[in-house]
Amino acid sequence: MTSTLARPVTAAVHLDRVGKVFGSGGGAVTALDGVDLTVEPGEFVCLLGASGCGKSTLLNLVAGLDQPSAGEITLTTSRPAVMFQEAALMPWLTASRNVELPLRLAGFGRSERREKAAELLDLVRLSDAARKRPHELSGGMRQRVALARALAATHRVGGDDGNALLLMDEPFAALDAITRDVLQSELLRVWRSTGTSVLFVTHDVREAVRLGQRVVLLSSRPGRVVREWHDVPSADAELLADEITADLRKVISTHAPS
Amino acid sequence: MPRPDQAAPDLDEAVGAGLDRLDTPTGARPASLRRRFVRGFLPPLGALVLLVVIWQILWAAAFWPETTLPAPLDVWAEFVSTINDGSVFGFIWTSVHRAALGFAAGVVIGTPLGILVAKVRVVRAAIGPLLSGLQSLPSVAWVPAAVIWFGINDAAIYFVVLLGSVPSIANGLVSGIDQIPPILPRVGKVMGAGRFAAARHILLPAALPGFLAGLKQGWAFSWRSLMAAELIARSPSLGVGLGTYLNDGSSYNSMPKVIAAIFLILFVGVAIELIVFRPLERSVLRARGLTTSL
Repeated sequence: MTSTLARPVTAAVHLDRVGKVFGSGGGAVTALDGVDLTVEPGEFVCLLGASGCGKSTLLNLVAGLDQPSAGEITLTTSRPAVMFQEAALMPWLTASRNVELPLRLAGFGRSERREKAAELLDLVRLSDAARKRPHELSGGMRQRVALARALAATHRVGGDDGNALLLMDEPFAALDAITRDVLQSELLRVWRSTGTSVLFVTHDVREAVRLGQRVVLLSSRPGRVVREWHDVPSADAELLADEITADLRKVISTHAPS
Repeated sequence: MPRPDQAAPDLDEAVGAGLDRLDTPTGARPASLRRRFVRGFLPPLGALVLLVVIWQILWAAAFWPETTLPAPLDVWAEFVSTINDGSVFGFIWTSVHRAALGFAAGVVIGTPLGILVAKVRVVRAAIGPLLSGLQSLPSVAWVPAAVIWFGINDAAIYFVVLLGSVPSIANGLVSGIDQIPPILPRVGKVMGAGRFAAARHILLPAALPGFLAGLKQGWAFSWRSLMAAELIARSPSLGVGLGTYLNDGSSYNSMPKVIAAIFLILFVGVAIELIVFRPLERSVLRARGLTTSL
């Protein structure tokens, strides 16, 4: 990725006082309020919060699926890739055709698509399943195809995918514990080998501590940044998880009816 | 604390591979050709034989006069005579090519109409209910109007066939599009699919099962409408289709001819369904893992 060296180092994504209000008048709900957040290139940031903290809203805003009511979002990549809780693969396409789909939409030629899709499936260790359809794969395998597809979506014709940003909305929440554990380490391996920036939304403290370089805690209704933990990998995971859990519990308890 | 993925990458890989192996759904093996024949072909054949036996018994008991209930053998003889003089192939060809042309035109009109109704709110509000209503209106009701507007000619017949098939085809596509899980268009959007790319790569293939059901029904309605039209609108210039043949039987008071015609109409309808639509539907559903029993 020589192209990244040539550009000035800017954040992969930068949120400046971002707010989001749904509805208007008396029924208006403030989902996000004055959120400042920066993800550096190649950084892995976990966004943590209880239900209703607007994590998914925030991710939708960054993905461009929705517009903020206030503030500004700056992206260095033209289009971030998104992974949802469901794999959401196209059921009529084989695994490799699913990975090819974003490449096709981006305008890649057939042979280049084949080649890149094969590489990406190899990256998520699913070369053997390339010709299978989603219903023939397990939940974990489907989510890995979705990961390969999301990575494919960061490719651009012309080859400049140095500033790829991957947005993940609780992608492992629907998986069983062992599969989730394996997929978390797969994700870390893929992230290390691709240098993609990741913004990972979760409500699971241990998942956040295990994956993230930085963990950002959001409050609920409205969502605000409550606290951040830097250098997460060098901390003692158990102690840090306890500390973050305590803070999360505090945030939730403020919502108890008085 | 050492992170598990850093501690033992090899073991991790093995665990992952093991999970893949264990969690992969195991599909049932497709049944053998012989088994499928026994399961799929014998029951309807048995039902047919039973029907003919009951018919023969009723005829032998002579409850009704011969002119009302002919012997199965008389009907068979009538059928064989149309084969011997080759006329049956003419009837079938006249009707089937008309129905196929009408159906093809119905697909060309019904498909864009279905997309419009499904995706444009105003269009849906305006003609959605009308389209559903037309589906339950027997298209034979259009025959008098068609004859007055177009005269007794092919145009009148195609008009009736179109009004029979278009609503079913359009409605099938609408329900196919309505049943697409909302996450799929969202995925298309985040991958940067524009309106047309989304329609081509996501919307239409995702709606295909519903669309196919609509096509199947559209064919059935085309066939029915055509028979109604042929039965009513008669002219030497139109040629003799199956409906005309049925009408001839009725005019000559020849019950064997009438029953032979009814069987032929039924036979062609079922044959097209079995030869064209069943395999198409089966392969589409099987590719999506939507079927185990077909």
